[in-house]
Amino acid sequence: MTKVAYYPGCAMNDRASHLDRSARDAAVKLGFELDELDKWTCCGAVPPVSEERVMNLIAPSRILKSVRDSGRDTLITICDFCYNTLKRTNFSVKSDIITRKRVNAFLADDEPERDYIETDDSLWKDYTGEVKVYHYMEYLRDVLGYEKITDNLKRPLNGLNIAPYYGCVMLRPLNEIQLDNPENPSIIENFIISLGAEPVKYSYRTECCGSYLSISNPAASTRLCYRILTSARNSGADAIVVSCPLCFYNLDSRQQAIDEAYPDFKALPIFYFSQLLSVALGVEYSRQGFEKHYADVSPVLDKIGGISGKGDAK
Amino acid sequence: MTEKVGLAPPVSPPIRLTRGSYGFKQRVIDLSAQSIDACYQCGNCSSGCPLAQEMDILPNRIIRLLQLGQKDDIINSETLWICASCFQCTVRCPRGIDIQAVMDTLRQIALEEGIDHFGPGQIDPEQAAEVPQPGLVGVYRKQST
Repeated sequence: MTKVAYYPGCAMNDRASHLDRSARDAAVKLGFELDELDKWTCCGAVPPVSEERVMNLIAPSRILKSVRDSGRDTLITICDFCYNTLKRTNFSVKSDIITRKRVNAFLADDEPERDYIETDDSLWKDYTGEVKVYHYMEYLRDVLGYEKITDNLKRPLNGLNIAPYYGCVMLRPLNEIQLDNPENPSIIENFIISLGAEPVKYSYRTECCGSYLSISNPAASTRLCYRILTSARNSGADAIVVSCPLCFYNLDSRQQAIDEAYPDFKALPIFYFSQLLSVALGVEYSRQGFEKHYADVSPVLDKIGGISGKGDAK
Repeated sequence: MTEKVGLAPPVSPPIRLTRGSYGFKQRVIDLSAQSIDACYQCGNCSSGCPLAQEMDILPNRIIRLLQLGQKDDIINSETLWICASCFQCTVRCPRGIDIQAVMDTLRQIALEEGIDHFGPGQIDPEQAAEVPQPGLVGVYRKQST
């Protein structure tokens, strides 16, 4: 089985460990293994903007360097924040020689044996951005191919209308991420099609859910999530699929606050993309952590079970 | 109807340009590496901003104030703390200004001045126990020193 370096990130390791589990289960069904890095730290969640803040690039660079040093050139992550931070850090290290030198000067402190007078036979090798950072879905699209998913479907999601939700950091900023068109993306749509379901077109799929404002300004985040959820529901969605633990939290747990603030609101189940993937590939419902969801997912699960006749016996 | 401050015609005393205002503008340009003067006030950033209706100074006005180096107006504005860094403005700017980077720089300068916006004391403990960590890390990094 192919082993691919995997960076889970803090949320997946702790509060959203059920999402991490579903991603690993799905990978095994698709014939590769997510090989967690031996040693990793928080990536920092938000990349720095100004040159003065080179300090914030050190942690993600160290993670990327450890991947390269272990002889691999691919790193998968399933969290949008980690993806954005790691990919943008990699971009700055790769494209900006001054940043690269400063970052490597810090990284060198980890290696006491480094010969500071650089000679040709020095063991030290600067990290120059060799690792390619993949989002799990990007890996499915570019490396594995959607046919592989379609061929392995055990419980096709036929008849389900699923609304893709991209959020902010998965696609933007374009020049550094280069994943898809930031205004009219298609990667999650194609993923949904490969599972046998129908993607729903609606207006707010790339609109921000409030991100960390959920903590500092909950009212603003409630309004944004209400707009997204209502727009998706009015377009006929049975569920929303997200790819970021914070979007997941905002769109799911915030439904309680939305319910109190907007009387016309109707709940909508939220799924992480890895949950839908592993469900479609035949992993048991009990391994998905559905009990942690705020919005009731059973209407969707009933539909899956009802159509293919292969749902879990309850 | 509630008064929408961000959309009201600006009421302000005459703008004074000083040596200090030039210094502030130059500092932002140096830190963010963006050409502030490229902005021609098309308003695309403000029209695309999902949080514009909560802001007291719209993003395009922030840029205009920045062109004139009006540090106090900008640093004390609520806009900096309402921005969720979603990059919508950055993606849509026809002049290629990374407005999110400018906002981050302005936040950085505001924090240097000691204007902390968010601290551990302000967080709802119930929420802190269940929100995914990127949210906590993000809010502290963006809104406190």
